[in-house]
Amino acid sequence: MNRWMTQCRVVAAVAMLASIWALTAMASAQQSAEQKPKAPAKAKTWTPPRTPWGEPDLQGVYSNRTITPFERPDEFAGKATLSDAETAELERRVVDRSADKREAKGTEADVSRAYNEFWWDRGTKVTTNRSSLLIDPADGRVPPLTAEAQRRALDEWKQPALRGGGANGRGADTYLDRSLFERCITRGMPGAMSPSAYNNNYRIVQSPGYVVVAIEMLGGARIIPTDGRAHVNGGLRQWMGDSRGHWENNTLVVETTNFTNKTLYRGAAENLRLIEHFTRVDADTIDYRFTVEDPTTFTRSWTVAVPYLRTDEQMFEYACHEGNYGMEGILSGARFEETK
Amino acid sequence: MRYQSATLLFAASVLAAVGIATPVRAHHAFAAEFDSTQPITLRGSVTRVEWINPHTWIHLDVKDSSGKVIEWMIEGGTPNTLLRRGVDKNSLPAGTEIVVEGYRAKNGTNRANGRDLTLPNGRKLFLGSSGTGAPTDGKDPGETK
Repeated sequence: MNRWMTQCRVVAAVAMLASIWALTAMASAQQSAEQKPKAPAKAKTWTPPRTPWGEPDLQGVYSNRTITPFERPDEFAGKATLSDAETAELERRVVDRSADKREAKGTEADVSRAYNEFWWDRGTKVTTNRSSLLIDPADGRVPPLTAEAQRRALDEWKQPALRGGGANGRGADTYLDRSLFERCITRGMPGAMSPSAYNNNYRIVQSPGYVVVAIEMLGGARIIPTDGRAHVNGGLRQWMGDSRGHWENNTLVVETTNFTNKTLYRGAAENLRLIEHFTRVDADTIDYRFTVEDPTTFTRSWTVAVPYLRTDEQMFEYACHEGNYGMEGILSGARFEETK
Repeated sequence: MRYQSATLLFAASVLAAVGIATPVRAHHAFAAEFDSTQPITLRGSVTRVEWINPHTWIHLDVKDSSGKVIEWMIEGGTPNTLLRRGVDKNSLPAGTEIVVEGYRAKNGTNRANGRDLTLPNGRKLFLGSSGTGAPTDGKDPGETK
């Protein structure tokens, strides 16, 4: 590692501390407004169909693409839901900010967008009238990290082997510096169930004792037992964790534990406990929610709600390893820049 | 200057890592692969399309100013999205003349991302395929906002 990169990392570590402090202060100020998460919305007049063996039928292909922000933007502070006019404005801005307009030509931001909109499938509509996908805490923001998690984040910075599920690596000395997503390995959980820029499709299939969720982005299927069996031994750790489901009225509740220390979701790793709720609220919508619990990472648990909308689209294979030339381009690009 | 931009990039990565303002994005970091200071416009003839994951690559023969033919590789979108747009691996046959605007690879090879692809008459490539849902930019004749 050369000297300027080391300097960069020190500067970046300071930047991270500053951002954590800022976030902590912001979130603390808003803490008083917090409320307990509401139960998933239930349709008052609509009863979901049942499978032949009597379970609520969630089966079908769904998309979770949306332009609804993950966290609540400052402009909507204190406002959990948006008016029709505000929704229309958000959608208008997406069109306005379209990469097709070329206003950012010659900037890093433009390169990050990569293509004009034809190549993407990130949606142009909000899919809920909520101002953020994150619904609890009530301020719509990820709660502050614990002091332990802040220290851990700094330690990880010193040891750049990346465990994260984001798209940006922390260096380019080796492919190990790059994210698991870039390496075509996994988006981890709950990343794999969250919207992305394309391949936002999921197929749910049920059989007695199992629910299967096939995921288009990076491929793979979660096979979730619903027959009451216990989790696997705590010594067995998996990239996607170990999921167990059960039915509560019309809702499928899935608890996932046994994560590894190789994946990272916003600072959470092996101690993550994820609770998901799948509730079909009408013929074409699953109200999907996940709650993130990890007292070693977050100062409180938090919940995200993402509508899964039925689609007629087919699921396609996404064999990401097939020709991941991007990894070669990133690493060789970094070597080339070192020679400048 | 280089130090400054690298610092910003690293700081941005850290912010993303702790979960602040993480945008929805592709599976890899384009800004790490392509150079924002090297926007490039290429005009050439398609030789073949690699219809592969995670991204398609279009091979293009481009004549330089001396008339010498140089092969370029252009990174495109993911095949699944293109299939949903009504585009498949036969949609861009060999010999098609196209104009590519993008950014050159940082590693100095003849690679670029296909930021915008148009036919020589200025018409945007692929426009008119069904159900794109893509915002328009007014570049094409008859296109309405």
